Amino acid sequence: MKNLIHAELLKLRTTRMIYGLALAALAFVPLSVAGAIISAGKSGGGPALGTGEGIRGVMSAGSSGILTVLIIGILIIAGEFRHGTVTSTFLVSPKRGKVVGAKIVAAGLVGTGIAIVAAVLTLAISVPWLASKHIHLHILSHNVGMVLLGGIAATAIYAAVGVGVGSLIRNQTAAVVVALGWVLVAESLLISFAHEIGRWTPGGGAAALDGVSHHGLLPMWGGAVLFVAYGLLFAAGGTRFIMRRDVS
Amino acid sequence: MGEGRTCLNGEAMATPPAHSGVMTSIQINGLTKRFGNVVAVDNLSFEVAQGSVTGFLGPNGAGKTTTLRMLLGLIAPTTGSSTITGKPYQELVDPFRHVGAVLESTSFHPGRRARDHLRVLCTAAGLPLTRADEVLDEVGLSEVGDRRVKGFSLGMRQRLGLAAALLGEPEVLILDEPANGLDPEGVHWLRNFLRFYADQGRSVLVSSHLLAEIAQTVDNVVIIAKGRLVIQSSLADLTDRTKPGVWVRTPQAQALRDALAAKGIAAELTTAETVMALETTTEDVGIVAAGAGVVIFEMTSKHFDLEEYFLELTTPTTDPINEGALR
Repeated sequence: MKNLIHAELLKLRTTRMIYGLALAALAFVPLSVAGAIISAGKSGGGPALGTGEGIRGVMSAGSSGILTVLIIGILIIAGEFRHGTVTSTFLVSPKRGKVVGAKIVAAGLVGTGIAIVAAVLTLAISVPWLASKHIHLHILSHNVGMVLLGGIAATAIYAAVGVGVGSLIRNQTAAVVVALGWVLVAESLLISFAHEIGRWTPGGGAAALDGVSHHGLLPMWGGAVLFVAYGLLFAAGGTRFIMRRDVS
Repeated sequence: MGEGRTCLNGEAMATPPAHSGVMTSIQINGLTKRFGNVVAVDNLSFEVAQGSVTGFLGPNGAGKTTTLRMLLGLIAPTTGSSTITGKPYQELVDPFRHVGAVLESTSFHPGRRARDHLRVLCTAAGLPLTRADEVLDEVGLSEVGDRRVKGFSLGMRQRLGLAAALLGEPEVLILDEPANGLDPEGVHWLRNFLRFYADQGRSVLVSSHLLAEIAQTVDNVVIIAKGRLVIQSSLADLTDRTKPGVWVRTPQAQALRDALAAKGIAAELTTAETVMALETTTEDVGIVAAGAGVVIFEMTSKHFDLEEYFLELTTPTTDPINEGALR
């Protein structure tokens, strides 16, 4: 298993895809953090910066890179089917469940890494900026530390969800389109306009875990439990599907 | 056909074909695969002896690739089973150390460097990374190891695939149409390589849709058509069947055969009205027929080469000449 995880990490390192995606994810962080700070307290923006909710809004903006991790999770498995490399992957390790497990761990590790850098970036931008507005952040406080940790956890779990989706949907492009469409359109609408349903979606759980303050969402711990459950569900479903699939 | 034998030059001839009674490396037992209504492989059984090169032949679409993928645990058979070195592939511990397979030339990530592709496999298989450089050298790709695979020709991809298969120094090598995309020099190199490999006591199963492509290399052949076994034989036995002969249509087929046999000419009744006389000429058959008072309606000399014979074995035909030659 350890060998397989190392092999998956080496696979990621030896193509350009991961660098592009990581860059895209991190490039998005300053934009969303700046956006959150500038729009806070204004009409159409989040709660005012002086409030706890406002701080949480800024901190969670930094984890907007989680979508990228979802994509990495999808590509790490669907890409193998696209390029046919899955053949040699399964020849080295005919026990396919282990391969899927190694991919989840690898995607999760990379995702966590990206999330940690995103969290550091978020702090690097928001601490001096907010200080100039005479708002001082305490990194260990609930509003800052928990939100950043939640964002990192959500990112790691999104990797597992991505591997599950990439296993279940054969076509790489279709898998990415479906996943992004669901997260960006369907879930956003549900969370905003039908939060009785939206709070139970994977994205609803992730947002709650992420510390996003929205009146319809579950509490943070509830979001954590829900999103972990979704992560396990997708991973198990994907594994089951991959085990039965003919590789031709 | 004498020609086919003389083509087996030098060292190739030194290895006796068909090691019957020797340990089997690959055993296929009644494999069947249905895709919907299509039966791709139909109750197929054969075996590969240790230390031999076995050609797995059949026209495109005969079910060769599906069979090999079932053998390697990539496709689940509808029924039947198979083992390599005594175990189903999925149950092998460290399969890369037992079996190397080259399945298709396109299964590389185009953006990954050749050496990295091999290093990934080394890592997953628990082999030292230095093996990547060693096998690159073995297949003659050392100089392009740092290039991304998307710039590789089909022939280079085939070599890289072979390099990957060699990583674990396996005792069994399985290759699916390895000569595709190779230039004549590459095919020559591949033949020598496979021969060398088998002479070390290891086994090779190599598929092809062209018998000629591998006839110079193989000890045994397994021929399939439409998913079914047509023949499993040593190459020597197969070439014996392709000796030149004379086909005769006569109302006295039985009498002609007996007359020929009396003169020491082997002949078979192929239908009630046709005879196939082996290793003889139309002149000799004509003289024998005249001596025996046999009426001849039609007579023609047949010369088969191995490739023709292969075509006949794998192509359904209603031509009585070919039907006759088969048996």
